Amino acid sequence: MEEILRMEHISKQFGDFYANRDITFGVRKGEVHTLLGENGAGKSTLMNVLVGLYQPTAGRILINGKPVRIESPAQAVRLGIGMVHQHFMLIEAMTVLQNIILGDTRDKGLFIQHEERKQEIVALSQKYGLDVDPDAKITDISVGAQQRVEILKALFRGAEILVLDEPTAVLTDIEVEKLYAIIDRLKGEGKSIVFISHKMREVLHVSDRITILRAGKAVCTLDADKTDGRELASLMIGRELSESNYKKIESEQEPVIELVDVDYNKSSKHNGLNGITLKVRRGEIVGVAGVDGNGQSQLAQIVTGVICAESGEVVLKGRKVSHVTAADFIAQNVSHIPEDRNRMGLIGDMTVEENLLLKSTQKCEFCEAGGWRLKKKAMKAYTDEMRDKYDIRCRSGEQEIRSLSGGNQQKVILARELEAQPDLLVAVHPTRGLDIGATRYVRDAMVAARDKGCAVLLISADFDEVLQLSDRIVVMFEGRIMGEYPGENPPVQAISYAMTGK
Amino acid sequence: MNWSTISEVLISAVRMATPLLFVALAELFSERAGLVNIGLDGLMSFGALVGFLVCYWTGNPFLGVLCGALGGVLVNMIYAFCTVTLGAQQIVYGMAINIFAPALASFIYRIVFGVSSTLAQATLMKTVAIPVLKDIPFIGKLLFDQTPMVYGVYLLVIVTAIYFNRTKSGLNYKAVGEYPKAAETMGINVVLHKYVACMICGFLAGMGGAYLTTCYVNTYSDGIVAGRGFIALAAVIFGRWSSSGVLIACLLFGFFDALQLRLQVGTDLIPYQLFQMIPYVMTLVALTIFGSRISGPKSNGKPYFREER
Amino acid sequence: MQRNKIWNLLVPILSILLAFVIGMIIILCLGSNPFQAIGYLVKGAFGSRTNLANTVVRSMPLIFTGLCTCFAYRCGVFNLGGEGQFLCGSMAAITVALLIGKSGWWVTLIAIFAGTVAGGVWGLLPGILKTWRGLNELITTIMFNYVATLFMGYLYTTALREGSVPQTAPVPEATEIGRIFPGLRITWGIVVALVVGIAMWYFLFYTSKGFQLRAVGLNPTACRFNGLSVKRYMLAAFVISGAVAGLGGACDILGTQFRLISGYGSGYGFDGVAIALIAQLNPIATMIVAYFFAVLRVGSTTMQVGTGVPTSVVDIIQALVIIFAVAGTAAMHLPQIRSYLQTLGEKKEAN
Repeated sequence: MEEILRMEHISKQFGDFYANRDITFGVRKGEVHTLLGENGAGKSTLMNVLVGLYQPTAGRILINGKPVRIESPAQAVRLGIGMVHQHFMLIEAMTVLQNIILGDTRDKGLFIQHEERKQEIVALSQKYGLDVDPDAKITDISVGAQQRVEILKALFRGAEILVLDEPTAVLTDIEVEKLYAIIDRLKGEGKSIVFISHKMREVLHVSDRITILRAGKAVCTLDADKTDGRELASLMIGRELSESNYKKIESEQEPVIELVDVDYNKSSKHNGLNGITLKVRRGEIVGVAGVDGNGQSQLAQIVTGVICAESGEVVLKGRKVSHVTAADFIAQNVSHIPEDRNRMGLIGDMTVEENLLLKSTQKCEFCEAGGWRLKKKAMKAYTDEMRDKYDIRCRSGEQEIRSLSGGNQQKVILARELEAQPDLLVAVHPTRGLDIGATRYVRDAMVAARDKGCAVLLISADFDEVLQLSDRIVVMFEGRIMGEYPGENPPVQAISYAMTGK
Repeated sequence: MNWSTISEVLISAVRMATPLLFVALAELFSERAGLVNIGLDGLMSFGALVGFLVCYWTGNPFLGVLCGALGGVLVNMIYAFCTVTLGAQQIVYGMAINIFAPALASFIYRIVFGVSSTLAQATLMKTVAIPVLKDIPFIGKLLFDQTPMVYGVYLLVIVTAIYFNRTKSGLNYKAVGEYPKAAETMGINVVLHKYVACMICGFLAGMGGAYLTTCYVNTYSDGIVAGRGFIALAAVIFGRWSSSGVLIACLLFGFFDALQLRLQVGTDLIPYQLFQMIPYVMTLVALTIFGSRISGPKSNGKPYFREER
Repeated sequence: MQRNKIWNLLVPILSILLAFVIGMIIILCLGSNPFQAIGYLVKGAFGSRTNLANTVVRSMPLIFTGLCTCFAYRCGVFNLGGEGQFLCGSMAAITVALLIGKSGWWVTLIAIFAGTVAGGVWGLLPGILKTWRGLNELITTIMFNYVATLFMGYLYTTALREGSVPQTAPVPEATEIGRIFPGLRITWGIVVALVVGIAMWYFLFYTSKGFQLRAVGLNPTACRFNGLSVKRYMLAAFVISGAVAGLGGACDILGTQFRLISGYGSGYGFDGVAIALIAQLNPIATMIVAYFFAVLRVGSTTMQVGTGVPTSVVDIIQALVIIFAVAGTAAMHLPQIRSYLQTLGEKKEAN
């Protein structure tokens, strides 16, 4: 069987950082070829090169054996490559139909032929089992439906090669099954699929062949039926995978924060909370499992005072709170590692020192006369101390924080939040986008905080992370808590099931 | 207050809404592509000057208007280059245009006409009455006995509405302002669209300015734009980024403009400056009641870089 | 980073040089000798004690409006209402001075105070509209500018008018701000301006609240999450920047202008915006750039008399400076240029 796509010796550099280094792999016609690798292994970069969003620093691409230059997404589309991005490229204010026909150059007319296009789309969706309503607005349809729109977009343009980038990251288990069925239909119609993932279970289920990427390089290509999870995992990480080595504790201490029947934006399934009752005690890690977009962001913001509950009670350290601000929570020793560090946690244009001391300039160690004179020397000394203690790699404390790597930025946040000796630490996706070393560091730090008596609320879409770290596990689905489970020997099946809404 | 006064005011309102409408449509096209351009006042000033000059030299107000529009395009290309290619903050750059363009206009005027207290006069554009329709009582004179520019701008409102709602090109255009990265992945050339948007914005804003010095009055003076560019910004928000909404907003503001002129003449007791404040105060009131917290195109105001790291 | 600071300084300087070069080309095209013209400009600005004094006097209102914009922008507040706030300051000061009518330095102080408060209030209004109703201050502050200018028109044509020419009665001599050097027009107002500028610089970079204000301007979302009250800081920015402009208006009317008249204060506001942007929002730099603008203005009249080159050439030069300065700052932030500069810096360090 000939190869429909081949990427040879592809390298992509950003400055002196190699996101891809000399990668070669090929996709046969009609197969599902998986690119497997951890966060930061270079999978998305490679695919962005394929669809013309990035230009490779070296290497070439062959379609059906012929070398091609893909200099723009339009060209990639013309060559029959369609991509479903991890973060959907859909325009929320427009309808499904409008999103699908956007930028289409085949129809030469001036006006949109609404009825004809609608029929075309309906026909396509029936052919591949992609169930959508063409006139619905994107904001009104479910995440699974949005993904189907993305696939339709590619098929509408005659894609022969479909790239699916982490397609299951935002789907429930039921929707994942539906996706598998769609992939089968696509294969049946002769389409080739590049499947990008870091989740072992799906990869083994769906793939024909698997190429493993690690730290920007291609390690090897295997047949899916000739390998297993253990081998893949060790190839992915480069060393033997070890089981969870964190001790689990059952805390009997008093709760630091308690939510009783809390509502927020109740009517929304993806951005609201409905009757949440939850306790986090001193000296325990409560892990919130669940696919991202089920109210986790809102939970984090209620528990840190950024937003206010609309009904129900929030009890912080034994006292009911209402109509308060984040400042009040911070004064009560609540620390927050936010889900989007650049938007919510750091000030990009400010220096490492300024970010470390963002909340502390009023403290008497750093200022005199009630804030009217900053003690610059003390601030610098503190910054140097933190750089040492938390191993923050930067040229100096005066460096702009936006030029640090993701891992080091997260360490700055960690330093700031943990040095405040919190009684409650709320960590949302704390290891997202971090490399292995940084991930381990952050996890160790959270467990250490717990051991010192801090209450930790861990919200993470990384199921393995929740399983590894939590003393108690709670599942969120569509704004509700679906169940509570022990962290020691967690019933993985039951938890996964709960994550789908059962 | 009798019929004829009211109709006078309304006819005036239509005349005064016209330059606003040009500029508001200009900003509509700009913001729909994600570019907030607050340099409208500056573009208008420059268009006003160029239009006036050409009209003065050639005696042809239509040519003047055209050249004023082209002048607007020229100046807005500076904005386009700095915001689209260099990624400068759009608001900051708009202010720079607001400072640069009127200075340039003023400079050119002084060079050509010297410094004197009498204003040079050019040919005024004549009104063109549409036969038969103009004889409809009341509405006839109001709608069908204006300069061709007025007819032109109303036609433009309709064309804009059709373009954005019915055509494929309009859909692509809107995508650029909503989610440029997505548009790019669909093969739409975002940078090209933004430059074209700047050209359209400059063209219409320059035309609006030229209208002021060839149709509204036939002289040029430094303060002639009188903040209309900023009122147009309010009109776009108030009209919720649709051309019909913008039309209503501009007619409303034009009405207040006409009203204050009429009221000035009517009474001696109230100082006339108080009446002159009406359009500005009403803009504030309109925004306060209707304009709060509406968003508009999602990527409005954000710079776009193709490769992001 | 040291290197960054040097580059940041280069952009405005290069912009000024480039703008001057283009200005000289324009002068050449007008048929005059550019070097001669610049010579007259310099003479007009620095040639005699009186001229020098005039540049200082001319820079005073610009320093105030520049600082007003600078402070507001540092908090992310696009206060374009400097002109209106300045005028409110002048109007309040002269009204108080005329109404009280007595003599004594305390009257002067009350008038100055009234002007500052008036400017602060005129800044507070759009601030409330923004924090309460989310109204874009770009539009609202401009509207308030027009209202203020028109109200001033009312004052000098009707309410406080004196005589047949439309202008107000002059500030009573007893209430004027005194001159520092006899025979020169420089008043203590410039000292006030310098003090405000230095105080602002100190506040922004050496106090806790100033730091937090800057943080809010750079990333309000992160500040919200970290317990800083974004609304409070923004309102404060509106009020304080307006008060600074109002203070400027009061000092100007009580020390330099003495009467409200048509065209008073025209352009001060937008000039202040340009100055603050060129100075990259640094209060000390703002004062220097403001002085530079004043030099251009004062020198240009001599240039016009001496060579016939119209004063509006200076307008063009000023406008070009801001175009280049803003474009230059933006270009510096482009990813390609950033990494190029970084590698340049690293090569130097390695050597």
